[in-house]
Amino acid sequence: MFDVHEMEVNFGPQHPSTHGVLRVLLKVDGERIIDAKPIIGYLHRGTEKLFENMPYPQCIPHTDRMDYVAAATNNLGFVEAVEKLMGVTSQIPKRAQLMRVMLSELQRISSHLLWLATHAIDIGAMTPFFYCFREREQVLDLFEAYCGARLTLNCMRIGGMPDDLPPGWLDDLEAFTGKFDAAVDEYESLLTNNRIWKRRTVGIGVITTEEAIEWGITGPPLRGTGLEWDLRRAQPYECYPELQFDIPVGINGDTYDRYLVRMAEMRQSNRILKQCIPMVKATPAGEIKAKISRVIRPPEGEIYHSIESPKGELGYYIVSDGKTQNAYRLRVRPPSFVNLQALPVMAKGHLVSDLVALIGTIDIVLGEVDR
Amino acid sequence: MQVEYPKPKWSERFLLLDMLEGLKTTLRELFRPKVTIRYPEERLDPADRFRGMFRFSFDRCIACKLCAVACPIDIIYIDVHDEQREVDGKMKKLKVLDRYDIDVKRCMFCSLCEEACPTKPKSIWLTTKTYELATYDRNGLYFNMQELEYWENRPEFPGLPPEVEGGEPPKQIPGAAE
Amino acid sequence: MNAWMTYLVWPLVKFLVAFIIVQVIVAAMNWVERRLLGFVQARLGPNRVGPKGLLQIIADPVKFLLKEDIVPASAEKVAYFLGPILPLIPTFLVYCLIPFGPPPTFVAARVNVAILLVLALTSTGVYGIILGGWASNNKYSLMGGLRSAAQMVSYEVPFGLSIVGVLMMVGSLDLVKIVDYQATNVWNFIPQIVACFIFFVSMNAENNRTPFDLPEAESELVAGYHTEYSAMKFAFFMLAEYSAMLVNCCLLVSLYFGGWTLAMFGHGLTSSALRHWGWIGGLIGTAIFFVKVMTFMLVYIWFRATFPRFRFDQLMDLGWKWMIPLALGNIFVTAIFILAGQERLMYWIGIAVLGAVVYYMKPKRVHASRVSEA
Repeated sequence: MFDVHEMEVNFGPQHPSTHGVLRVLLKVDGERIIDAKPIIGYLHRGTEKLFENMPYPQCIPHTDRMDYVAAATNNLGFVEAVEKLMGVTSQIPKRAQLMRVMLSELQRISSHLLWLATHAIDIGAMTPFFYCFREREQVLDLFEAYCGARLTLNCMRIGGMPDDLPPGWLDDLEAFTGKFDAAVDEYESLLTNNRIWKRRTVGIGVITTEEAIEWGITGPPLRGTGLEWDLRRAQPYECYPELQFDIPVGINGDTYDRYLVRMAEMRQSNRILKQCIPMVKATPAGEIKAKISRVIRPPEGEIYHSIESPKGELGYYIVSDGKTQNAYRLRVRPPSFVNLQALPVMAKGHLVSDLVALIGTIDIVLGEVDR
Repeated sequence: MQVEYPKPKWSERFLLLDMLEGLKTTLRELFRPKVTIRYPEERLDPADRFRGMFRFSFDRCIACKLCAVACPIDIIYIDVHDEQREVDGKMKKLKVLDRYDIDVKRCMFCSLCEEACPTKPKSIWLTTKTYELATYDRNGLYFNMQELEYWENRPEFPGLPPEVEGGEPPKQIPGAAE
Repeated sequence: MNAWMTYLVWPLVKFLVAFIIVQVIVAAMNWVERRLLGFVQARLGPNRVGPKGLLQIIADPVKFLLKEDIVPASAEKVAYFLGPILPLIPTFLVYCLIPFGPPPTFVAARVNVAILLVLALTSTGVYGIILGGWASNNKYSLMGGLRSAAQMVSYEVPFGLSIVGVLMMVGSLDLVKIVDYQATNVWNFIPQIVACFIFFVSMNAENNRTPFDLPEAESELVAGYHTEYSAMKFAFFMLAEYSAMLVNCCLLVSLYFGGWTLAMFGHGLTSSALRHWGWIGGLIGTAIFFVKVMTFMLVYIWFRATFPRFRFDQLMDLGWKWMIPLALGNIFVTAIFILAGQERLMYWIGIAVLGAVVYYMKPKRVHASRVSEA
């Protein structure tokens, strides 16, 4: 039971910096955290049950709403899983693959920009928030020009893409990639060398590689510990084998390393985009869908397919019974749900003021955690 | 590829140059143009493919119900009946639309209905650049066939493009015949 | 009759004039802060309420006055009402002591221990915070109030110690004499640059401004000492904070940046030169003083926009383990130079530091996540 010094405090679902409705039950001794238990479920919408009642193409808008910050990667994971189940992965035309990669990397940039904005403002630096959102607006404008929406994109279809690129889109993308490196330099000049930032993030929330693998943590928290594991290299999908990019890893596994890893990932995504643009121009325009029937009825079987979303390994497990157009069971492995398990491990021994930094550094999106 | 830790020299640590760098950045930003759009006096023009409010064209619709099947939320309500009509001198059995209602308050504007429509140009389209749909009354968001076509009592967004993808030029005067 | 005029009525009039001007500045500071923060952050600040948002200055107090004043039922009534008032009154009193222009006209009360009185009065602001936090009958407010009080008290020490170097060089506690000393030599921030820096940091910590604004931050568990206050009482806390900021800036300018004079080694607009022009000269001096003070208020806002905030234990670490030894070291070094009679050699300290900053601030920095890329 309780020691006389311990106090149980609720870091409630309504709080300005829990990035959604997350409740953390803290056991504190004065200011030191002894235990931090995240309690989730405030945003549960029954997505997986909904998936059982609608045919596969109709599920795509619903996958947008799980990780609403990075909708294109959710779409990509689902669409690839269904294609793998149907066995048509090799028939996707090159242009469609390149478009998928471009949208996915743009989404990675946009998601990391949002992460940086909210993480910085939780720790107290107000201005990176506005600078990041200014760049994010440009990315969202690119998405709007392509598929018509900014947040819930619905930008991929089973077998290819819905539309071809609008005229001028590639030029806008090239302009964006040209300016983006300077923008990342600007954010870094405000934060990376700043001694206040370093005091708030170095040594906070250390997690070792063994612990991370035990808990199943993937994505930048895993790469921050020093292990070079990225699904784009380990289990390549789409046309990633032809693209050149590095995988940034950290050294100590603390918050500062995860920050540096994500900043480097933004730069690498920019590099990938720059490589994709001439490759897309070389493919013939208009070939964006594979020749599959309009009615998607995968054969009987089950499959698990995962991709590298900005937050970690996003996996889709589909069981199909071969007779209906709906999935029999569609389970999503959300990266934030699994990464959130690291919170009690990281928070032990730190102060309550650090809890906010820790929730920010794991980069959770409650839509994904609760589905 | 390991991330580089910045290695500050003793001069930087003593003279607080890292803080001065941040101060320089914010000072530089002070003199750059600001990105605020002063809504509602200034508005951003959405892209051409922006998924906004629907328009419907009764003349082009063949009452195939593919849009209602494609909708993930089932908010398109269609009633048809068969009729014998005279077309090109022969009696043909045609489907006639009785009811085409959309419950817009539950719509997520995913445009799966627009993709499913088989007519060319499409009979339902979302590329209307209209996003200001708020009403004071919930029932104002349940659109029947006439409202979807003529958009009565809707404020016309000034930025409607003349040629809409898959659609026809929208009416500028509400209620005017085509 | 003359004695009444000289010693009571005339200083009261001067004080009221200064008070009104300062209150106008404090009210305008609200608008300036929000607008300037917006401009630094690539957005416009308030711009809808009036032309360029200027009527916001009136709209906010009107809102505060018309809001419902919620008093918690179990709050300790007397202390609850005293809480916002206590930080406000000493800060208003300090306006008597600060010289805004050349004496004798522009100083309300010329006291020859002015600095001591100013320090003592600004220190009493802590009582209001403790009372406010305790009277709210909310354990988080109490914790927030105590933390804020601990922060303010522990930064009073370097605040006071950093002034000692200036006092040793000038030889007097009178603010007017300190300003005149700076007119005949260089501005005090050059020989005492370390002390000026410590003073500025302590000022930020005293006023609960970023990077030391943990007690006011919303994203922390503890909501702060002014959680339970609504409407006008909350406005009083904010008013007290801005008034304290202004007072501290006036002190900084008087002690380190030459006050109302624009002179070096006796040449330029010294006190006597300004007095030569009568009361116009005095007004020019006051204008110079306010320009300098407003520059430092803008620097406050600049700091708020740029830096993240310290954690509480890091804040206390900084105060006790770094600021105080530095201040003591500064006193020691200044004492050595004064004893040796070579005060002017200290000017090289400031010039060396400023030169080193300019020299080492190279424009190109290699950032940590830069890659060897295509």
